Amino acid sequence: MTSTTQNALSTKIGRRSFLKMAAIAGAFGATSSFASENVTRPATAEEVKNPFPGSKEVKTICTACSVGCGITAEVQNGVWVRQEVAQDHPISLGGHCCKGADMIDMVRSEVRLKYPMVKEAGQWKRISWDTAYERISKKLNSLRETSGPDAVQFLGSAKMSSEQAYYFRKFAAFFGTNNTDHQARI
Amino acid sequence: MANTWGYGAMTNSLGDIQNSKAIIIFGANPAVNHPVGFQHFLKAKERNNSQLIVIDPRFTKTAAKADFYARIRPGTDVPFMYGMLNIIFKNGWEDKKYIDDRVYGMDEIKKEAAKWTPEKVADVTGVSAEQLMQITKVYAKSTPGTLIWAMGLTQHSVGTSNTRLAPILQLSLGNMGVEGGGTNILRGHDNVQGATDMGCLADTLPGYYGLSSGSWKYFAKSWGVDYEWLAGRFKSKDWMSKKGFSLARWYAGVLGGKPGEDKIHNAGTNLKALFVMGNGITSIAQQAKVKEALDNLELIVLADPFVNEAAILTDKKDDIFLLPAATQFETSGTVVATNRTAQWRYQVVEPMYESKPDQDIMFEFAKRLGFYKEYTKAMLMRDNKTEFKWPEDATNEIARIIKTIGLTGWTADRLKKHTDNWHMFDEVSLRGSGPMKDEYYGLPWPCWTETHGGSTVLYDINRSVKEGGMGFRNRFGMEHNGTDLLAGKSSAPKGSSNPNGYPEINAKNIEAVLGITLTADEKAKIGKNWKVDTSNIIAEKCMKAGIAPYGNARARAIVWTFPDQIPMHREPLHSPRTDLVKKYPSFEKDKENHFRVDTKYGTLQSSKDWAKEFPINLVTARLVNLNGAGMENRASKYLAALTPEMFCDIHPDLANNHGIRNGGMMTIHSPEGTHITVKAKFSFSVSPDRIFIPFHFAGVFQGRDLKSHYPDGTAPYATGESANTVTNYGYDIITQIPETKGGLCRIEKA
Repeated sequence: MTSTTQNALSTKIGRRSFLKMAAIAGAFGATSSFASENVTRPATAEEVKNPFPGSKEVKTICTACSVGCGITAEVQNGVWVRQEVAQDHPISLGGHCCKGADMIDMVRSEVRLKYPMVKEAGQWKRISWDTAYERISKKLNSLRETSGPDAVQFLGSAKMSSEQAYYFRKFAAFFGTNNTDHQARI
Repeated sequence: MANTWGYGAMTNSLGDIQNSKAIIIFGANPAVNHPVGFQHFLKAKERNNSQLIVIDPRFTKTAAKADFYARIRPGTDVPFMYGMLNIIFKNGWEDKKYIDDRVYGMDEIKKEAAKWTPEKVADVTGVSAEQLMQITKVYAKSTPGTLIWAMGLTQHSVGTSNTRLAPILQLSLGNMGVEGGGTNILRGHDNVQGATDMGCLADTLPGYYGLSSGSWKYFAKSWGVDYEWLAGRFKSKDWMSKKGFSLARWYAGVLGGKPGEDKIHNAGTNLKALFVMGNGITSIAQQAKVKEALDNLELIVLADPFVNEAAILTDKKDDIFLLPAATQFETSGTVVATNRTAQWRYQVVEPMYESKPDQDIMFEFAKRLGFYKEYTKAMLMRDNKTEFKWPEDATNEIARIIKTIGLTGWTADRLKKHTDNWHMFDEVSLRGSGPMKDEYYGLPWPCWTETHGGSTVLYDINRSVKEGGMGFRNRFGMEHNGTDLLAGKSSAPKGSSNPNGYPEINAKNIEAVLGITLTADEKAKIGKNWKVDTSNIIAEKCMKAGIAPYGNARARAIVWTFPDQIPMHREPLHSPRTDLVKKYPSFEKDKENHFRVDTKYGTLQSSKDWAKEFPINLVTARLVNLNGAGMENRASKYLAALTPEMFCDIHPDLANNHGIRNGGMMTIHSPEGTHITVKAKFSFSVSPDRIFIPFHFAGVFQGRDLKSHYPDGTAPYATGESANTVTNYGYDIITQIPETKGGLCRIEKA
């Protein structure tokens, strides 16, 4: 649905009205009346009230900054279809900034990195995860043997979960170096 | 901060700012960088008639909401604060009883402050004596006052002095440990607090345990691995205890040994491989050096949901790997807000495309590097499991091990319950009701036990320890120069069995300090001290006695291990005031082996009259629609559309002197010999002696468009010159944070 949404956004159709149409398209299935002359019709009251039947709401937290605003994410068939502010969150009190409001689109962005890649002779090449793991591990192991573990610099992130950040630090320790850091330094 | 009273973290909360009568902000711009958090500031104004004071080199959007605004010259926060202290002491506005009972070394501060008369401060900072006096009076008379800062205060070669003097200013007024007071640092990224607490750092293990062999032994034991085996993974035990390269200067590890580069000390090798997860290294200072370092590496691994622009910046042709990492909405785990509140970030969707969550990537590498079993063993230890569940078993592993900042109470079950019940908490006090009674939202650390409700206001002695009260931490010994460092009489937290100061609790003193007798069984189980007591006997006994496990001591104004024992003014390495550089020079000696690399101070500062050639101050900061290196946000067409191009805020008078037109192009030259060409934007937010540039752009390097370096279909919607191509050399003498908030440049019409 991501790409359809993007196409729709590049035309004059507003986001909300598009979502209404999308709901109708879903209801009609493959033999949608999109092909007939009545391409659009007003949504029914029920469709406006509940455009994503069977969806579930997930409470989660914005990743933009350290305020920690609440997000209500609506998910239908495994797709993040709608994002709402959390009116009852004790810090954000129903607020979102422009970055926070964009979380749903960040996740669904078309320009995400979609598969592992390697640069070879100046050209990007798609590779499998297994190949990526194998080639990187081989090089890390050989550097560790020949130059020692301190030949590698690890840079983790303040955008990881605490568990991931902890396991990142632990990874450097088990690799055998204190050359590890993250954005708190800057 | 940690060196003043024990912990380096925001002391109160955003909601608590609503209790403030005055708010003073140094080098932070929450209206833009924490817009939703800023509503609590505005509520303080509306409900409490709180006076908002903004000290900033730029008239920011936060300044636009202020009652008082002072346009300070970059890098002169120390003189400004000493000026405030001068007026406070002169008028007797300090809280004498508070200082007597809870602070060590304020007399030294008083002496230094006496030198900083308002007139002298005016000359150095550019803020008039009248304005300084007006601001000081309003702030000192409107207690409780909260002091806010962000990177505008920290990113200086004297960043540590800045972040020590701000707490001292608050201590002088008795503004610490009270509702509506505190030193409230606004963190940048969503989990800066959490990732820092987890020791994702070059100078410490998780929980700030440091790198001594004692710390490593504690972790080896807690991870269920043999200490000797773990030590064997390192080059030697010696290297195991040495700080690593930091994010600020890792590139020096690659370039060290080349002509003109700072000398490195890295176990006899240069850096040859870089492994990055979720870090926009195109937003660190010295981009030209970063590029050169990337070009010279043998292996670059970049795991990110978007293309890490390090891959774009470099001209390296081989062995750059891009791994699609999942976003935080495609996995779950703990995120710690700026006020130490933990929230459970529930997974929204499965990882999209071929992306994988960070932990899966780390686990697979651990398998292939041959240490997976040892690496994950600690997740099985709590309940003798055979298989672990991510992230819950990692959360519980952390709770089991990290005592220093009191994470024992942060079990996965409790954190989830808080997020599930976020509607049951008060926005100001963060107190819970109903099922969440007696707990604060997100159990702000220290959360000493599995029934403790967290600590929302650090160092508050008007609450019992059980309710989150505590004195200052006993971290710096029992006495210094013959003065007792423990807190004065009757200054223990409410309801304490010991009403006075007391040391941090260990197995030897617990009975005497708490006035209890341990059973033989307890004596057999108890850990050596509160920091390594995985039996939790110390914490549990302390809760019963109303005693803070880390002791009850004085905050200190003197740090006897630092080059400047009390904060001193030192001009930035690149200062527009050459006359003041002579009077207030940087550190005379360069620092050897500072995070493995020699670092220049006075020798660089005095090597040239920088201001003659580079007369304009350069200030960098954020924009409301972008974040960090901007990778994520510039990949959003909506956010990118708000600022599609890199630009420079410039005062029309300054622009006119150089023939630069609004919307025309201008070139900024740095003392490093680098330059960027960007669009000029006329603005009165900057004065004619300084310019502002945002630091979120990448993809253009010194006039060279690197668009062709992006793999097909991955280029963000906006690219531009990186501000950090022209930020200047300069690093804090303790933390090595770069001096990006007060460099110099020269401008010309492009």
